[in-house]
Amino acid sequence: MPVLEWIRFILGAALIVLGLATFIMEIYGVYRFRYVLNRMHAAAMGDTLGLAAAIIGLIIMNGMNFTSVKLFLVVVFLWCASPVSSHLIAQLEATTNPEAGEYESKTLAALEAEEKEEK
Amino acid sequence: MNSGIAALESAYTIFFSVTILVIAVLAALCLLRAIIGPRLADRVVAVNMIGTMIIVVVAVLSVMTEGYLADICLIYAMISFLAVIVLTKIYTGAYKQAKVEKTELSIEELDALLEEQKLFPERDLSEFGVVMPEEKEEGGEA
Repeated sequence: MPVLEWIRFILGAALIVLGLATFIMEIYGVYRFRYVLNRMHAAAMGDTLGLAAAIIGLIIMNGMNFTSVKLFLVVVFLWCASPVSSHLIAQLEATTNPEAGEYESKTLAALEAEEKEEK
Repeated sequence: MNSGIAALESAYTIFFSVTILVIAVLAALCLLRAIIGPRLADRVVAVNMIGTMIIVVVAVLSVMTEGYLADICLIYAMISFLAVIVLTKIYTGAYKQAKVEKTELSIEELDALLEEQKLFPERDLSEFGVVMPEEKEEGGEA
């Protein structure tokens, strides 16, 4: 039935657009934050919601197929593996940066005031 | 995808092409972040993000053209995860090695020193309205 096909297209397209919007928000957040450990909060959005929404939209568009099972395995694997990478990157930053504890207590306004004083 | 309606087929093709184009632009911006980012961890985060976006591109391509690209998508996900692990371990090891050579400590002493280096120093939280419970000295820890 042609109506069902169009419904499948619109549903899958809506989910993929949600995934794309999440990726755009992730990029904006990564550019907006001032420090690595803050940027990782934004970067984790794409690994979880962006990927899941986009791939579930693709699964809906593809139908019940063996390809869909493999794509779902991608989501399962990345949902398990992405927190491990984030933890290791945070550990890297905390180990190699002696001043890592000083960024957490300053608000954005205080950081900007400090930068203005330096200039 | 094999619906037989010409309008739907062209809609699929146009939609997938626009998706791939948008994600390619975002990946180029991520690459810019990898070039700019002042610290090493910035660059590792940007590489991770590029990997995730390329996974979405390969998944879209697998639905658009051939089905076996889903295997490549899964393998690329594993490889990008492994790349981040290897990068962080190598740089942490190199940093500790350089510190050991500079200050003539052993690895165990360096590890103890890094643990002592307080990441979150204790400070007065009363300005935020936080009241810390008093520590009880009697009795053991639960």
